Amino acid sequence: MRFDWVNILATVIFVSIVVTLILAVASYFAYKVREARAPRTASELRQGGEGKVFFEEYRPSDTAKTANTKQG
Amino acid sequence: MANEDVKSTNPETKMIGKKPLRPITQLLISIAIIALVVIATVFLFRYPQRLGPIFVTALMVTLGTFLLVLLLRHFMLVWFSYLHARELAHQEIPENYPFVSIIVPAYNEGEVIQSSLSSLLELRYPYYEIIAVDDGSTDGTYEKMKEFEGNHYGVRVSVYRKENSGKADALNYGIRRSKAQLVVCMDSDSRLTPEALRYAVYHFEDPSVGAVAGNVKVINRHNIWTKLQALEYIEGLNIVRNAQAYWRTVNVVPGPMGVFRRTAIEGTGGYDSDTFAEDFDMTVKILADGWKITYEPKAVAYTEAPEGLLDIIKQRYRWTRGVLQALRKQKGLLRRSNGNITTPLSLWYMIFEGLVWPAMNIFANLFFVWIALMVGMTKLLVMWWLLLTILDLLIAVHAILMEGEDMTLAIYSVFYRFFYVLIIDVCKVFATLEELFGLDMSWGKLARKGRI
Repeated sequence: MRFDWVNILATVIFVSIVVTLILAVASYFAYKVREARAPRTASELRQGGEGKVFFEEYRPSDTAKTANTKQG
Repeated sequence: MANEDVKSTNPETKMIGKKPLRPITQLLISIAIIALVVIATVFLFRYPQRLGPIFVTALMVTLGTFLLVLLLRHFMLVWFSYLHARELAHQEIPENYPFVSIIVPAYNEGEVIQSSLSSLLELRYPYYEIIAVDDGSTDGTYEKMKEFEGNHYGVRVSVYRKENSGKADALNYGIRRSKAQLVVCMDSDSRLTPEALRYAVYHFEDPSVGAVAGNVKVINRHNIWTKLQALEYIEGLNIVRNAQAYWRTVNVVPGPMGVFRRTAIEGTGGYDSDTFAEDFDMTVKILADGWKITYEPKAVAYTEAPEGLLDIIKQRYRWTRGVLQALRKQKGLLRRSNGNITTPLSLWYMIFEGLVWPAMNIFANLFFVWIALMVGMTKLLVMWWLLLTILDLLIAVHAILMEGEDMTLAIYSVFYRFFYVLIIDVCKVFATLEELFGLDMSWGKLARKGRI
């Protein structure tokens, strides 16, 4: 049996290009999904006005003020 | 005081890019783009006879143009990079060295910071200081930096800590504290080779040179992604810088290693935090001020490349949008030359490489697949693939020989255009569309493996 190398190579090229394009688009959307799920940094949270998530920000000066008030 | 000319910028007070769209609008735009691509593809494959001869002729002309541009681009890159290499071969390094400050900004780089600082202490350069700036890290980077603070055989290491406000701000913070006329700006995940500084600094003997770009190479080459990136840095990025350096208009002084004349940075007002490509932004501003920028192939800096596909996409997405943001800021420079026509040409080339070329590459691939299937021109498809692959292989061998690199990397040029570049180009096209539609984005720090 005689192989038609041109056709075989063309098929390989065709399949690899199509698969690569599908992989490229899929991985782009996978990246977007991963980014959307990733926890944001403190700086990004502050940018979005969501800095105070669970607790009030700790400030040494506030503590000193409270302690002084209690003493007084 | 001259030092205060470098302004402090805080990204928290600025929006990156345009005003972000609402999530529902972003979703609708994404769906519309995908729907358009799907409809066009289905139409092309189902009803090729309806396209008519004019459309097919137009496609053929476009494809012919693509191949012509490709050949011309490759020829020019090889020719000018050869001319620059020949020019450098005739230059001698002087013996008088100026004092240099090396600025190392770091944010959560605990894995790599000590290796990076160690490499800086091994530089074969007589007069320099290291200024390490911790940008509010939470992983112990500052404590690891602190171990290096002090005097190391004449090299002073100063360590500073500031609230997190971005790389650009950290670089400005370090520059304000430096005393030198030449400043090296680098990434904390880079490793400079011992001779890097000596080779980079002598270009500043020419008073019109404002910056020198270093030669960035990938240090972690252990899987297909990192090996393809290693090849890309040599074949795709450094050869372009080498060619641009012949005209002294290198359009990206890379983040891992750039040497700047202090007055050039001060003239621009320092690094800005309003783009995601602060290195490209600074380069364009220096070019806009009329300075020349060159490239030194022997000033080598090793960097850790992303090791997985999604991390590569994350990096290229940020680069593409950052470049567009910086170009939008300096769009006036595309029309005026400042007495040097090569500067706007270099920026137009950047637009071509960043926007037009990726779209053309994807289009050409789709078109050839379509031709092969519809018309049965399998021979043409194979010829086209062979032509481009041989071209890539030749360019890779040329670039590898010029840099004295590992020749086995040339094997990867077989997968380079039809696999790696295609994936990157799809990412670039999506990133461009998102930037045009003003979708929001974040910096997106890459996870380091500590390979340097």
